[in-house]
Amino acid sequence: MPADSYAIANPVGEISRPRQTAHSSGNRNPTLYSDMRGSLAAQGNRIDDTSLIREAQQGNRAAFEVLVRHYDQSVLRLALHLTGSESDAQDVYQEAFLKAYKNLGSFRFECSFYTWIYRIVTNLCLDHLRKRNVRKEDAPVAVDASGEEYSRLEQFADARSGANPERDLMRRELGRKIGAALSRLTPRERMVFELKHYHGLKLRTVGEMLNTTEETAKNTLFRATQKLRGALAEMR
Amino acid sequence: MKCDWVRQNILFYVYNEVEDDARYEVEQHLARCPECATELKAARKFHATLSETVAEPTPNLLAASRMRLQEALETTQQGGLWHRLILEPMTWLRQIRMSPALAAVIFIVGFGGGIGATYNFLAGHSGSYTATAYPAELTSGSSGNSAQPVDSSAITGIRSVTQEPGSNQVSIKYDTVLTQEAQGSLNDQRIQQLLLFAARNNYNSGVRMDSVDLLTQAPDDASVREALMYALQNDSNPGVRLKALDGLSGFVRQDPRVRDGILRALISDANSGVRMQALRLVEPMKTDSNVRSVLTRLAQTDQNVSIRSQARTMLAQMPEMD
Repeated sequence: MPADSYAIANPVGEISRPRQTAHSSGNRNPTLYSDMRGSLAAQGNRIDDTSLIREAQQGNRAAFEVLVRHYDQSVLRLALHLTGSESDAQDVYQEAFLKAYKNLGSFRFECSFYTWIYRIVTNLCLDHLRKRNVRKEDAPVAVDASGEEYSRLEQFADARSGANPERDLMRRELGRKIGAALSRLTPRERMVFELKHYHGLKLRTVGEMLNTTEETAKNTLFRATQKLRGALAEMR
Repeated sequence: MKCDWVRQNILFYVYNEVEDDARYEVEQHLARCPECATELKAARKFHATLSETVAEPTPNLLAASRMRLQEALETTQQGGLWHRLILEPMTWLRQIRMSPALAAVIFIVGFGGGIGATYNFLAGHSGSYTATAYPAELTSGSSGNSAQPVDSSAITGIRSVTQEPGSNQVSIKYDTVLTQEAQGSLNDQRIQQLLLFAARNNYNSGVRMDSVDLLTQAPDDASVREALMYALQNDSNPGVRLKALDGLSGFVRQDPRVRDGILRALISDANSGVRMQALRLVEPMKTDSNVRSVLTRLAQTDQNVSIRSQARTMLAQMPEMD
């Protein structure tokens, strides 16, 4: 069966367009829109995915590649945010999808494919964060060729800066502060905050992905934001 | 008491995680209580601040990750398949060892099946030789069979694609084991399927060009868009890529995947004409941060002088972003 016979109804990459979400922050409720969009896209995909998953389980690689395209933008974004490095993000991306491919036979449609693949990615990212904590590399700081320290997160400061160096500098400074504040969270708090704030997922789904309850995810989010507010207030 | 409860829930209110009735209560309270309203403002400001500096994977990073994954997938076996291939026959063998009668049955069935398959193969082979003498022609509307989808695995190539002037009737000659012809309107599912096949698989670039051209007239269909994206990325003929680009031009605004595809073409297409056209298409979207970063890159590194200067002009005209 040729790959072009798979219609792509709603790429989930849609959820992960934070530029639009960020811009809508003037709204009364900025997250409402992204949440709705996320869940609608996820619903559309669920129907669409079932046949793709079955094909892929039969060993059809083209079908698996179409599935990958549905989710890989969000996966890469999550990995990039949590690892703070392009090469680490690429490694997590690669490992996650290869793992999914190898274990696709054991996927029994008990949860959505989206939840399943995110569970794999979050586990890999949590491992990565824990390893980094063990190595005492709390802040995502690296050393460049000239021996200067720089924040890895800064490398990805987005390209919105344009021609205003002052604003650019302020944005970078803010990015550094946020990066430092985020690195003070525990891996689990960081993960819950990331999935809720930057990926607009429902706490129920976050709980499902992290093998815990909605209530625990809710408490973790509360703790994470309290810590972040405290840390950012200290830095001002 | 009420204030405590509201303050504990204000975060979840901002994140749209409170039930409808609780939401109503929070809103009622906020309208009356200025302290809690200030708290809400602070929570929103905090939310907006954290959303301000978001690291985004660049189109390059995404493309590189996809390529790396594709390479790895080529050499990776699915675990499920291994289980089926290795474990299931093992279970069978264990049973066979214990039951000689079953082994005999399997042997006989296998032997008989083999003879049957050989017989069918020979019969089918001679049939196809006689059939080649009668090339089939298929027309839409007059016969009921046009609704049946074409079995694309049986297609070996598309010979020609022609459109009758002034109508949306299309005629396609394609080879299966024998050459066939299909005629029908552009909306015909069978015709669309053949066009999609031709746009991807044909060895003759003229046919690919005609197919892509016709697909761009076809209705707004996800699989058509997919085929155009494929042609833009993979077709060896720049003319076909240019046609695909034209077909995609209507979706630059609404479909982020199309936009990313065009950005990839801007960075990596070898033909400067294609890159030039892609640049024209992304112009209305130049405020998108991905587009910006690609423009910045083009302005510095593109081999073509006029593309570099065009990209620079577009960047210079860009409005200030918040």
